[in-house]
Formats: sequence, C-alpha cells, structure tokens
Amino acid sequence: MTPSERFPGAPAQLPVTTREHLTSETTRTVLRIQSRLLTATREFLYGLGFVELLPPIMGPVTDPGTRGSKQVDVDFYGHRYKLMTSAILYKQASLLAFDKIFYIAPNVRLEPTETAVTHRHLAEFHQIDVEIGDGKRADAMRVAEDLVSFVVDSIVRKMPAELELLGRDRDAFAELLRGPFGTMKHADAVADLLGLGHPQNPDAEIDWRGEEILSAKASRPFFVVDYPKGSRGFYDREDEAHPGRLTNFDLLAPEGYGELASGSEREFDYAKLVTRMRETGENPAKYGWYLDLARDGIPASAGFGMGVERLTRYVTGRSAVWQASAFPKLPGVRSP
Amino acid sequence: MTTEVGSAAGELRAGAFPEEQVRDRARRGTASVFPPRDGYGQVLFGAGTAPPLEDVLDEARLVPPVFMPERLRKLIDLGREPLYGDVDLTTTIGGFASRLPLFVSAFGSTRAASGEGGVAASTQAARLGIPMVIGENVVPVNGYRQIDAGTGSPLIGRIRAYAESVTGSAGGVVVQNSTEDADAEVWNLVYSDPASEPLLETGRLAFELKVGQGAKPGLGGMTLLDAASAARVAEQYATDPVFGLDGTVLRNSSPGTFTAEILRQQVRLMRNNFPRVRVWVKLHPGRDVHEAARTAWEAGADAVTVDGAEGGTGWAPTAFLDHVGLPLAECLRRIGTPTGCLLATGRVWEGARATKCLALGATAVGLGRAALLAVDTDREAGLVRLVESIALELRLLVSALGKYTVDALDREDLWFPSRTSFSRR
Repeated sequence: MTPSERFPGAPAQLPVTTREHLTSETTRTVLRIQSRLLTATREFLYGLGFVELLPPIMGPVTDPGTRGSKQVDVDFYGHRYKLMTSAILYKQASLLAFDKIFYIAPNVRLEPTETAVTHRHLAEFHQIDVEIGDGKRADAMRVAEDLVSFVVDSIVRKMPAELELLGRDRDAFAELLRGPFGTMKHADAVADLLGLGHPQNPDAEIDWRGEEILSAKASRPFFVVDYPKGSRGFYDREDEAHPGRLTNFDLLAPEGYGELASGSEREFDYAKLVTRMRETGENPAKYGWYLDLARDGIPASAGFGMGVERLTRYVTGRSAVWQASAFPKLPGVRSP
Repeated sequence: MTTEVGSAAGELRAGAFPEEQVRDRARRGTASVFPPRDGYGQVLFGAGTAPPLEDVLDEARLVPPVFMPERLRKLIDLGREPLYGDVDLTTTIGGFASRLPLFVSAFGSTRAASGEGGVAASTQAARLGIPMVIGENVVPVNGYRQIDAGTGSPLIGRIRAYAESVTGSAGGVVVQNSTEDADAEVWNLVYSDPASEPLLETGRLAFELKVGQGAKPGLGGMTLLDAASAARVAEQYATDPVFGLDGTVLRNSSPGTFTAEILRQQVRLMRNNFPRVRVWVKLHPGRDVHEAARTAWEAGADAVTVDGAEGGTGWAPTAFLDHVGLPLAECLRRIGTPTGCLLATGRVWEGARATKCLALGATAVGLGRAALLAVDTDREAGLVRLVESIALELRLLVSALGKYTVDALDREDLWFPSRTSFSRR
C-alpha cells in the first residue's frame, strides 16, 4: 500500500492559505492536543528527575544526518555554521552538567524532495530529545515506551471530546495502553519484508515504504533494534559483542504511521568516535569542539529523539504530519 | 663517481651525478619538488616527465587467432559473413547503459579543467551516450550555487549541460566526493537539487567515493592558488607556501584515511543515504588494490575504477609522477577476474590500449587527459570525434579477434613479449 492508498484523501500539498489552516477547527483541535502532549511530556520527564535545557539552534557542526537530508548554512561572522538537524552532539555534552536531560528542540533538515509524499517528513520539525547519563539502550527504550504510554493515556483521559471531533477512535490505543511494546531485530524486519516481496537492503536503514508496511501490520507501537553499521550516524554505539551491529533502536507507531523515534546507546570513546566518523565519511577536523570534549571524557549515555509532530499525528490520527504543525514546511515546497 | 673540487661558488663539478637537479633544488628549494609552475593551468600533468616506465600495456600485442568459432556463431546468427560494423559496443558501466565501453573520467578542480572545458565535455559526453565523472573539490573551491553572481556553479552547470544534451536511455553523471567535499556536503546538495532530478528520474546519477588517484597515490588532490583564492578556502583546506613569498600556494586536500572496514561502511552508508543513485569507488594504484576492489564490490559498489600510475590530469610532485604507484597493467593483473564492474583509467587515448584493458578484465576505460585535450581542440565536437575514432578502432580490433561483443574479450587475446608469466590469477 502506498501512503496515498493507506491514507486516502490525504492532501499531497499544504493548505491553500495560512488563514484557512489556522482557522480550521481540525487544526485548532490537533494543536490543542499537541499542547497537551507537550505538557504531559514535561510532567512525565520531570517526574523521572530529568532537567529540561533550552536547545542550541546553530553550531559549527550538527548531526550529519542520513538519507540525503541537507544542512542549512549560517554565516556566523564569517564562519560557516549550521542550523541544528539534531542536537545530538550537544545532548552528549550536556551530560557534563546533569545526569538526565531533555530538550524540546527545533530541527531543520532539507530532506530530499521525494520525502514530500511520505506523509511523515517536514523540513522544519521538533523533537523530544532525551539523554540519560550512564544509560543503556534498555533504559532509553523504557523511557521512550513509558513516555508514549503516559502521553497517550493523558490525552485519552483528558481530551475525549477532541479525539471524537477528529474522528480518532480511542480503541486504537487499547493495545498500547494494555501492555509492553514489542521488539523486533532489524535482521528479522528485513526477512519479514523480503518475505512480503518488498526489496529491502539488509545493510541499510528500513526504507520508508518498508517501515510503513511493518507499521501497518502492527496494532501497538514496537521497537526495531540492532540496525547495521552503515545505516546510522557515528554516534550510535557499535555492539562490542556483535561487531557491525549497533546498540540502537527505532520506535514505530502502528496503523501505518511509521517511525516516531530513533535512539541508541552512544559512542563516547574518542578513538572509536574518530574511526566511526571516517566510516560514515565524515571529516573529524570539523567536529573539533566535540572531539576535544570526548578526548577529555564525556559520559557514557543512551537517549532518543522523538518527533513531536509525528507523535501528534499518530495520536490525532491525521493522514499527514504537516497537519500537526501550525506553519508546516514540506520538503521542496515554498511555504510561510 | 668523481668529484672535482673547486674553490669558488658554482665551480664544483659532479660528473655523472645529477648535478643540475641538485643545483636547481639548491636554488628553488621546495618549489623544485613540483613540475615547472609556469605550465600550471595549461599543461596536463601525469606520468611522463622522467624516463618512461616500461609500459606493459603498450608492450603487449593483441593476437587474433586463426580459427574463430565465435565468428562462425556470428555468421550463423547473421546469415552472412560478419564485418567489424557488426561488433556491438554497448555495455553497462556501473549501473548505466552506455553506447560504448568508454567514459569521461574526472578532471577535478584544476584550472586546466574548469570553466567552459568542463561544460563542453559534459555536452559532448551526453551526446555520445557515455557516462561522465565530475571531479572532487569542485564545490569547496568554486562554490555550489552563486545565486547573487547569477553565474551558477560549475558543478551544477556541468550536470545541467549533460542532462540537457542526453537522449535515449544511455549515459549518466557521476559526482565525486573528497574529505573536503564532505564538509561541503556535495552529495546531499546534488541529491536534492532540482537540476539533478532529470538524471535521478532516469537512473542516470551516481556518486563516486574517491579513495585515491593514479597521479599521486597516497596523497590528496593538489592545486595552485593565488593569495586571494587561498584566503577564500582557508577554512576548508591546508595550504603550503612551497613557492616562497610571491603569494602562490599549494592547496592540499587530505587523502582521507581508509581501512577495509572504513571503505566497506562508507559504501554501505552511500547506498543507505542515497538509494536513488549508483555507487562508484575510485582507487589509486596501491599494492593492495585487489583487496580494496573486492571490499568495495562486496559492500555493494556498482563500479570500481582503478586509476593506474600513468593517470592524472592534475598537479603532482615530480617524485610521484615518476616513482609512485603500480602501473595500470599490474593493477589489472593483481585484480585478476573481477567480481564486479571494473573500470580502468591511465593514459588511454586510442583503441588498442582500450581493447587491451578490456581484455584484462575492465568493463570500460576512462578518458581523462585525452578528453580534456579533445575539448580544448574543439569545444563543439572535439570529444565526439576523438571517441568516434576510438570506437572505430575498437570495432576493428574486436572483430579481428573474432569477437563481436566487448565482454567476450579475454586474456587469451593478448601476448606479452617479455612476460610469459602474466598469467591468470
């Protein structure tokens, strides 16, 4: 099923006007739910002892990203700086101040124009960015799972009228609220997809179409773990017991909504970071400030980034992620 | 060696010792490590300034048999005697359909290759339906998109020129990346640029990971820059004032560090990040070239180019031009029977050398200096005419060997006068 088949009637383009979008009762309801979602996120994370920090907006380097997304240059007094595609490097550094931190961080990624039709890519979006000092992958997965459950439970309980107005059936969350999320290894996900006739490269990220197929089969969110090296950035830690495998995860929503979050145990060893940078085609010289910190020691950690608009879209049952943004920017589409 | 001792400066004589070269170094210091600077931008470098390396490819002879069973098969197929015009030169090069087993290899950012020459080469390669590689460092040096200047970037200019002139289903554009290009994110820029879309839509775009090059194995790209240009790229490149204080500097790209695991993972990441493009890898003629080629193919590279020590259009230290790297023939020998698409470059400019490379396992051969010279001879059709002449020779030679497709060529088609041990691996 293509995204258009899965979500019939989903607008391919942005709304005609900003006024039309912002004054629509649907948009208002979605944004009200998003606001509640952020409140619940903070409530949950504060309860676990996390400190919220304000995220950096630009820096000499940013997350190199994957899958062809382009960075935005900023002329910083004659030096080429970048807008954050994600604040991953700063999250690791922030652990020098506090053991558990989170940001609600704006990110800019000029994704390839083909992503304009995936229904889940925005060129400007926000992440719930969580990092846990001395954390293992299991710790990050637990926080991600409990966070989603807490937020969904909060909205289901406190905003039934809004969900009804949007036509979002509360029963869709019954399985999610009942028990633990499932976990699937990347290699098994690949085998599943190949079995279904989808040509998935075993050395690569599950492609967008593949993610959607897996997501459509599920009735509650689930994790995909152990992605191969070569599919992710240098900061996802390699599994020492299984070279070539990363101690990372994606969290996928059910019903075809696809990826909500990506996370991992982080690499923090200086020499391994430099080597992994080379393996991902990066020039270590441009990561000077980060590598200097790493050389002197940064804490081991695990964490994740969860897309605010994607989570909103899933909870509100929207056909496309841009409907969860007041001022949406689709890849390749000029918009306010 | 005898040394006559004199008393005044300049009176020493050193017999057979390379006295003049030593005196040149004493006068010019680090500048003498390079070919004469005044030729920069007009002269195409590459091996050939010292006594020539014995070229095994030149020495080898193409040896048609008397009995030609494949000709008989062609005769049966056609119902008439086959002629050289019946040779099918079409092939697949690194995932691209190509009308000929030829491609235009990278010129890079060196001055001899920039400007109109690059665009003219693009247009003509597209007309010919053969792939073209655009060299590294074009973006950090020349900029990507100079909107205000209204001139457009050389890289996009070349991509657009190719896309506008290509017809049918053959051909493709290959964009190289180097360590410094990674800073400028060339591939990400190209992948999402509207100018690339016609090529992406027709499966005609590839990215080439440049591991090294024939002219200076183990070193990165080098160009000469004036003081103003050097200041502009100071954040991206190391520069070295090897020519003293007149402002001209040597600009160095880092060669980049590779291990088998780094190469493997970089290739995989390219496939992961850019699923709509083909992945090419270019290797310098290193002593482990066979292991490197195998690693790249196993990781999923669509093509591996081996640049023999004879290759190179760019600026290189004389010691490297004359003394460093394996000749192309030895690279092909070490690689043996390729397990993927193998491309060969290095002093190819006519059909015989091309045919020999194909017989030694290459799927296609690249034209570097020859293509630049052809475009310099005639901006409109120089490359087209050069390639047509090579294509005719290929047809003549391949048919003389009793074969009618290029992939039918084999080592049995070659004889090495002084190397009877040039055996299959």
